Amino acid sequence: MTIFLQNIISGLETGALYALAALGLVLIFRTSDVINFAQGDIAMFSTFFGYRIFEKYMSYPLAVILALLFAVGLGYVLERVFLRKALKLGIINKIIITMGMLMIIQGLTVIFYGTEDYYLRKAIEMDNFDIAGIIIQPNALFIIFLTLGIVILFNYLLKNTKFGISIRTTAEDEETARLMGIPVGKVYSRSWMIATALGALAGILVAPKTQVSISMMLDIHLKSFIAAVVGGFSSFFGPVVGGFLIGVADNLVGYYWSLDWKTAIVYGILLITLIIKPAGIFGKVVRKKV
Amino acid sequence: MIKIQSKVIKTIILAIIVIIIVGIAPFKTSTITILSTVLIYGIAAMGYNVLLGYAGQISLGHAAFIGLGAYVSAYATDVMGIPFLFAVLLSGIIPIILGLILGGVALRLEGHYLAIATLGFGVTVQQLFKVLTKFTNGFAGRIAPSAYIFGNKIKGVGYLIMLIMITTFLAIIIENILKTKTGRAFIAMRDSEHAAKAMGIDIVKYKLIAFSISAFYAGIAGSLYMHLVKYTQPDVWGSVLSINILAMVVIGGLTSVGGSILGAAFIVLMPHLVAGIPYVNTIPSASIIITGIVIVIIIRFMPMGLITFVNRFKRRVTNVRG
Repeated sequence: MTIFLQNIISGLETGALYALAALGLVLIFRTSDVINFAQGDIAMFSTFFGYRIFEKYMSYPLAVILALLFAVGLGYVLERVFLRKALKLGIINKIIITMGMLMIIQGLTVIFYGTEDYYLRKAIEMDNFDIAGIIIQPNALFIIFLTLGIVILFNYLLKNTKFGISIRTTAEDEETARLMGIPVGKVYSRSWMIATALGALAGILVAPKTQVSISMMLDIHLKSFIAAVVGGFSSFFGPVVGGFLIGVADNLVGYYWSLDWKTAIVYGILLITLIIKPAGIFGKVVRKKV
Repeated sequence: MIKIQSKVIKTIILAIIVIIIVGIAPFKTSTITILSTVLIYGIAAMGYNVLLGYAGQISLGHAAFIGLGAYVSAYATDVMGIPFLFAVLLSGIIPIILGLILGGVALRLEGHYLAIATLGFGVTVQQLFKVLTKFTNGFAGRIAPSAYIFGNKIKGVGYLIMLIMITTFLAIIIENILKTKTGRAFIAMRDSEHAAKAMGIDIVKYKLIAFSISAFYAGIAGSLYMHLVKYTQPDVWGSVLSINILAMVVIGGLTSVGGSILGAAFIVLMPHLVAGIPYVNTIPSASIIITGIVIVIIIRFMPMGLITFVNRFKRRVTNVRG
């Protein structure tokens, strides 16, 4: 039982990171109809930036804040340069554009940061404590509660502020939003900025585990997609639940079943979800007019 | 001058000219390997073009099919002792099964969901290559013997000429399929699935056909790659290759068979071209950045790809004559 709970906790920890990244993905998709396949690499690039600051000034909070600001700026620039003019293109073409972005960012990473791995410290460096035989890392708790806090804050802002309402309206129907006088362009920029910051935060938090490296976001990147699909793209709450679910499932399958087959089994979960509920667990099916 | 109308004859004549050039020209071994690689990726890209360009279905895990083809071919020739040509055919056919599975999933998905499902599919199959050690030999890798046709060892220029013939053959087949009812059904499906359905096009059937064709071509490419390089291990068949195949088709020209080969040439030759440019060759990742930028530019401003230039040039030449 302790082992089981132990697995649940570490599952929630990784799940929290999946949730953060998935939330960013869904935000971008809902507002600007783009599936951002470069999300993981943008996060990786920002994490590298944070690592460089940290290495120079040895101040973790400063490094994190600057990395997040960097991600925000990067999100703004990428959206303006690559996607704003491509709004009218079909979804497949937009996916291909983000693929091009992904290649450019990977190339730039090699130029600016090289191909080596670096160690970045944990957010909370305290001794582990023990509750009834379950070892709990303060850092894991921090990640889980930080994510929950962000998600709650995000959903609160979405419901209660003008900005949140403009995001929701744009997500619902871009044209109507425009007619209602909502500055849709600003909504796109802002949702990209928030999404890249969320991704960067996930990157910084996972760095102690994966090292800061060019492939550091591979796992989170793929799993956040799966989380978004399992939770459903149509709500801002589903992907978070999806993230936690995938995180826990990942850990349990890895421990009790087989580490080697973990990826295949989690992918199986994705496929089964897609077949039974194509719009995700919390999603609603949107019927398209012809 | 006699005007040659048939595209098939034109393609064959072009192939013969290329074969003669390749046969006469004193190419270095490395050049021959590069040219062979272009054709092999060209074959995979042609199949992928049917899927993405004509049928409008995206796949971000296409490396899985090429990898499966390579492993099937290695296993068939090295372990089971099946002759080369049968092994090539076999490595085209077995990925079709995988393609049908993915196609079955794709039936329920469109657009972004399909992209995500295929991305996961690619990662999963690559993981299976690592795990199924009986079949793939894991990270130790699998080796394949040289290609033999009727007891003759085919290598170097011979292999390149064989590739030219196979590529030509496969290109003609695709061109012909696209001219039939199937090709028109693909295009209708791409432009609007609902409208195609309303016109009585069997979406299920044609999606599965599109996935099967692309899987078949990818498998053949994998097999031919295997007998060129003669060694493989799971890391080769990752998302980098999948993205490269996508890049080839986009850059060369969606909806153009010749464009696929042009795109393959672009991706394969780019690192070599970059290495020759001063200043740029000191940047280790210049080719990937250039490729990324070109993809974005093409999607935004030149949706038919680089083949547009070739076609424009051709038209000018014929106009001058005519």
